Amino acid sequence: MNDGEISIEGGGTTTAQENAPEGIVLNSHAQICLQQLLRVWLGFERDLSKVPLLRRIDLGTYTAEDHQIFLRNIRQQVIEGSRWIARTASSFDRDYSEIRSSIISHAVDEHRDYEMLEKDYVASGGQLEDILNMERNIGSEALHGFLMHRSSLPNPIDLLGAMWIIEGLGEKMANSWAERIQEITGLSEDSTRFMTYHGHNDSEHMQRFYAILDSVCIDEKAIKSIVKTSKVVARLYRLQLEEIEYDLK
Amino acid sequence: MTVYITSTGAFLPGPAIPVEQVENILGAVHGKPSSLRVQIQKANKIQTRHYAIDEQQQTTHSNTEMATTAAEQCLDRAFIHREKVGMLAVASTQGDLPAPGMASMVQAELELPEIEILTTHGICSSSIMALKAAWNSLRLEEHEAALVVSSELASRLLKKQRYEAATTSTFAAKRIDFSTEFLRWMLSDGAGALLLQNKPAPKGFSLRIDWIRGFSHAHALPTCMSVGSAGRPEDTRTWQDYDTYAEAEQDGALLLRQDVRLLDNLMRMGVDGYLRLVEEGVSKPSEVDHFLCHYSSHHFKNKILEMLDTAGAGIPEERWWTNLYSRGNTGAASLFIMLDEFLRTDEVSVKEGDRVLCFVPESGRFNTTYLQLTVVNG
Repeated sequence: MNDGEISIEGGGTTTAQENAPEGIVLNSHAQICLQQLLRVWLGFERDLSKVPLLRRIDLGTYTAEDHQIFLRNIRQQVIEGSRWIARTASSFDRDYSEIRSSIISHAVDEHRDYEMLEKDYVASGGQLEDILNMERNIGSEALHGFLMHRSSLPNPIDLLGAMWIIEGLGEKMANSWAERIQEITGLSEDSTRFMTYHGHNDSEHMQRFYAILDSVCIDEKAIKSIVKTSKVVARLYRLQLEEIEYDLK
Repeated sequence: MTVYITSTGAFLPGPAIPVEQVENILGAVHGKPSSLRVQIQKANKIQTRHYAIDEQQQTTHSNTEMATTAAEQCLDRAFIHREKVGMLAVASTQGDLPAPGMASMVQAELELPEIEILTTHGICSSSIMALKAAWNSLRLEEHEAALVVSSELASRLLKKQRYEAATTSTFAAKRIDFSTEFLRWMLSDGAGALLLQNKPAPKGFSLRIDWIRGFSHAHALPTCMSVGSAGRPEDTRTWQDYDTYAEAEQDGALLLRQDVRLLDNLMRMGVDGYLRLVEEGVSKPSEVDHFLCHYSSHHFKNKILEMLDTAGAGIPEERWWTNLYSRGNTGAASLFIMLDEFLRTDEVSVKEGDRVLCFVPESGRFNTTYLQLTVVNG
């Protein structure tokens, strides 16, 4: 709960002023789409509590070893993330040049994030070669396959639904998990830099997201495709977090 | 069958207690003022509240008495004879007796002969469970009128002696134990009652019940507000698993706990449930004239609410109304106490045809409940 005045342990402390909306008025299709995306996100976020590894964050039993497992298992998705984003940009034709520019700049921002993640891994007590040698887990394979497929199609506006989930998770890591993980594991800030980094420029990212949504989500068909892709990505992302490496051994 | 709320009643025990006097009533644990009180009270913004215990922490009104007093007021204001009441549904987090159900005790006090009774058990949303069951009973035409009462006596759980006895608990072990103190400075006592009938009152406003819905997320989320465990994740015992109740109390298994870290989920699930009702076409945000929310509005002032506004599903703040800040957070009784005052206050102008959306979230294990009422004039 954001009380604005008291900082409850682990709770977000952003104030209303920091998140003040900047006056974007979405078209009616984009509004409906955002309503549905909010529900997909809230359901995804709630169901993350069922993933055993992440439930331990809620319950306070998450350990440094859990953190290493987590980082080992999401690194591949972070590496591949910059690939599907770059491919998405290249799949937009000139009618979507604004969006293309926006996505390219986003890809530039994040395409080497995995290096930060590797440093976090070492700082939390892991061996560098272990994370470098880690292959995609079963869920990562499915998620990566789906995203590369969709991003190869012409003008893949539905991938806004993917960005919604993945960006939302970045923000959740930064605002809900990073500090809590430090608190319960005793690990230092050096172990959660990848998580905290994604909390930066949230508000700017949201405004950019709303602007794109408003420009591409102009009919029922667009709503359906964006929402469906957000659902698939939410499910496959959770699968990735459920399918931690045990099956690979 | 259309069902109406035709009368309401409320009871708040004793005088209104301002923030700085709360600790005089609940008592300073081991004689030391709480280091969290001011901070938590500032955050919940409740200005005055009522307690059914005195400054010696002796009970002044039982839970049954409070429920009965609210119910009597509701019946006194009604246009029908009490013999018409065919059902009594009573909700409370904890009645005076763990068994039998509280409805039996309230029925006895009200001397309502041979009626159907229902006791609902839960926390804040138990009142909505009782209301829904009574509404359905009238819709099925089993009764012409039903009385729904909700009463809470939280202060007995929050008095200093509870904390002083918990010598081996997390509260005793930590310098600051947010989870056991949070609700101490939040909850207070009171009761509310609603009379449901199959026709509106002949005079004045009645509230037609349009729909009542609830969504529980216990399948996915951990327990957030509870009594009965020591609050240690590795310890799975609940209060009756201890050899003696004394040991359970010593270990803090009888303290009321709130895992504040999980609370954010409540508002999120509240938004999710509302969006679901919007998606189903059950609620239209633009048609809501009054929003009565059993939750402090300032807790919603964050990103998710702004997203709701951006998505065109927000309810403007001028349509929100609550008496939480003056009557206190009385848990399950809150909404009924709120409805009682809503129909009488000069703070809002209520007119025929107005749609009233009510939202009662329960943090226990995340149950979110909603109802819509329409104002009709007899």
